[in-house]
Amino acid sequence: MKSGSNRKAQNAGADSAPRPGQPQGSVPLGLADTVAQSLLHIQTELGGSPDLQIRRIQIGGERRLEAAAVHLSGLADPAAVNEFVLGSLLNHTEELFLDRTDGGADSRGEEASLPQQILSRAMETGEALLQEEWKEIMLAILSGDTAILLEGCRAAILCGTRGGEQRAVSEPTSQLVVRGPKDGFVESVATNIALIRRRIKSAKLHLEVLKLGSETHTHVAMMYMKGIAGEDLIREARDRLNKIALNEILESGYIEELIQDKSFTPFPTIYNTERPDVAAGNLLEGRVVIIVDGTPFVLILPAVFTQFFQSAEDYSQRFDIAILMRLVRYLSFLVLILGPSVYLALTTYHYEMIPTTLLINLLSQRENVPFPAFVELLLMETAFEILREAGVRMPRAIGQTVSVVGALILGTAVVEAGIITPIMVIVVALTGIASFALPAYNMAIAGRIIRFAFLIMASIFGFYGITLGLILLVAHMSSLRSFGVPYLFPFVPLSIKGHKDTLFRMPLWLNGADKPPAQMREEMPDYMLLTTGHEEQLPPLIRKNCRTEEENREE
Amino acid sequence: MRNRIFGGIGVLFVLPMLLLTGCWDSVELNRRAIVSGVAIDRGDSEAERYKLSFQVIVAEEISGEKSRGISPVALYTGTGRTMFEALADASRQTARFLSLGHVRVLVISEKFARAGIKDLLDVLERESDTRLNSLIFISKGQPAREIMSTMTVFSKIPANDLVEKLETTSKQFGYNFRMAVDDVIRGIQIRGGGPVINGVFTRGEWTPASGSNDSLKSIEPRSILRVSSLAAFKDDKLKGWLTGDAALGTVLLHNRIKEFPVLLKQQEGGYFSFNIYQSQVSLAVESSDPEHPVFTVKITQQAALKEAPHPLDLTSPKVLEELSDRLIKESVKHIQAAVSTAKELGSDYLGFGRALQRKDPRGWKKVRDHWEDVFADCEIRFDADVVIRHTDMRSNSFQIH
Repeated sequence: MKSGSNRKAQNAGADSAPRPGQPQGSVPLGLADTVAQSLLHIQTELGGSPDLQIRRIQIGGERRLEAAAVHLSGLADPAAVNEFVLGSLLNHTEELFLDRTDGGADSRGEEASLPQQILSRAMETGEALLQEEWKEIMLAILSGDTAILLEGCRAAILCGTRGGEQRAVSEPTSQLVVRGPKDGFVESVATNIALIRRRIKSAKLHLEVLKLGSETHTHVAMMYMKGIAGEDLIREARDRLNKIALNEILESGYIEELIQDKSFTPFPTIYNTERPDVAAGNLLEGRVVIIVDGTPFVLILPAVFTQFFQSAEDYSQRFDIAILMRLVRYLSFLVLILGPSVYLALTTYHYEMIPTTLLINLLSQRENVPFPAFVELLLMETAFEILREAGVRMPRAIGQTVSVVGALILGTAVVEAGIITPIMVIVVALTGIASFALPAYNMAIAGRIIRFAFLIMASIFGFYGITLGLILLVAHMSSLRSFGVPYLFPFVPLSIKGHKDTLFRMPLWLNGADKPPAQMREEMPDYMLLTTGHEEQLPPLIRKNCRTEEENREE
Repeated sequence: MRNRIFGGIGVLFVLPMLLLTGCWDSVELNRRAIVSGVAIDRGDSEAERYKLSFQVIVAEEISGEKSRGISPVALYTGTGRTMFEALADASRQTARFLSLGHVRVLVISEKFARAGIKDLLDVLERESDTRLNSLIFISKGQPAREIMSTMTVFSKIPANDLVEKLETTSKQFGYNFRMAVDDVIRGIQIRGGGPVINGVFTRGEWTPASGSNDSLKSIEPRSILRVSSLAAFKDDKLKGWLTGDAALGTVLLHNRIKEFPVLLKQQEGGYFSFNIYQSQVSLAVESSDPEHPVFTVKITQQAALKEAPHPLDLTSPKVLEELSDRLIKESVKHIQAAVSTAKELGSDYLGFGRALQRKDPRGWKKVRDHWEDVFADCEIRFDADVVIRHTDMRSNSFQIH
């Protein structure tokens, strides 16, 4: 394991600390000479957990060697345990002992190689190895493997019997498409890797697996296309992953938060998806995919702003349709962040810009409304956010009711009660709908946050404030990097070639499909290539780890 | 890190400054009184140099559900020695801020216009709230106030009705055209000439009752706003009214007319009528001697025959050619009427001087100070061409057989 020293220290600390259930002041737990003693140690370590399955057997025919197979029920595949582990132990070990008695050679050497012999001659499982490290054995048992203990032997045979219940591959619940593949990632990292491999049958597709989280030992797989993804990008991604020191990794969001370039920004700089086709497409474009065990959401990096407006469907539909849909998405993002603030600026500062007839309507609507427009908007936006939050959390059966009650009944009632003007309901509803038109949920949330900032700017300064806000927004976005790639690429820095799949999706024959991305990469000018060295802006936890690592090195 | 802390403190200081300044200039819509039209009159005394009447929209009466059945607009009048003073005076009578951002119509009384509108236009251009594309009218022979207080049939806001009336007449057979504040300002700057502004008056006797809904209750409203006549200016002062051929010729010279009817009297009695649907008039100048320039008015028009009272053979090119020759004479007559009226009024609002300036800027410099005199006796030639494009749905009338 290539973890930082900090992490090792943590682990050591965790091991030596006295825990409930562990006899105080006793010898450290580990494999003992006798099976019974070892089993006791395992039981102690797990706190006598009842799901620990121990099968004590005697192998070797006449010799009757004490042995035990240990696994956790639920995690291990019972069929594999019964058939391949216990079956091979009970059926094929007799010959080994016969050979031994016949040979009559140096008994000490024979003794040491007994587990080795079982491993190489008796075990029928595809995945098996000899392990002496106590920690590794415990980890294997906790991952669903079966450990075989032998009398008089300070090593255990670990057999790969991971299994248990898993969710089947099904249609993703987010990022739906009308046309396109309907399979989605699941919680198992192995299945997810297979889903990607099934799409890219190329030897260039490389995979690296890490275990992160000192308590959870979560499998984290990093995939990339060798020769297409930039070497510096791969190195940077690997480095940042290795620097993660956290007790638990339960979702890819944990990792995203730790490896992103800048913490204090509403904009996501790492893309996540539930769709294998999106992951595969991004791999082929030279991006790195990070799959975390236990979640169907994989991370894709680096991610630029325009990527969050691409949908998997853009590539299944004809390009003219895709262009139209994509323009609608950009438009809805503008409506989302500027809609309420433009309305506010128009009515409170720039009434002369509203057509006279419309102005008369607005005037008569506002006649008996008690609140200023700003308060009115805040009330309505807050109400809408509450509705949306309620709708998401509600059980599916009554989720519909919430939206109907919220949108229709509340909207009408609020207007009839004279608290809100009807046009305000239109503005708020439109921005609400606009937020759902974005294909990336995290970008929609970013828009929702920014919207409130613009609302305040508009209430203080009118259009002047909105313009100031836009300048600030663009400045902030220009300062963002995703693994060294400018967030606004290909707008800033401007690249005409990079525009083939941004505002418009150009037809595939124009998209340069005939040219491998690595070649296109070579054609790029230097300043557009990936740059790293933004550690300044890395999250504090990783920064801290970097510093301790450096200090250790100096010592 | 330290920088960041200082930055954070800086933001903490700046933020209250932004928030505590409040929302300057911010006015909620229900605190505004939207002015749709302004009438500008001149009172008798110096204190009433400007008498401004603001037509304010009562929005609730127009589209609200809880209307009280009162008038959809209200008129507030303020007086003062300057525009600003008059505006302030009127503001004191209203409960809300008089907002001039939606003024669509400015009506200036004839009396005011004859005294000069220079100062007024300066205010309109300087004031940030007013628009340069509000339409300007001159009320013909009556106070402008009366125009702004006449109830109209087709729009609840009389100012809007006036705008629509102008648009309709300018599209259909009328010689009035859109004349906004900026057009007038540009017109005033023409040396030796001036702008041409639409006239408006009420047909029928104007009484205070014209401002009430009762006036509209009969099928025939007692007083109707009518857009007609053109007010011709010399510099910023009203000189006279153009009607009939003189007005038509003026608009033809400005190329601002879309279509208009022309009648030819038949010797047998009755009239041929034509619709001129395309007209292009341009000025050519020969200025070997700037003191005596020679202008050639080039007219190209296309006509459609609309009425033929006599069974002429309209399929014969000869007949049509004869008719177009007579149309040419008509066109020349229009322009001639316009020119002679302009010469009488002593104002070159037709743009002859500008044509000379474009052709011969140096010569123009010599004559521009006494351009009125040069214009009064310059020679004008005509080069007209009128083509009858079609005779509408029929060629020969059924009467011919």
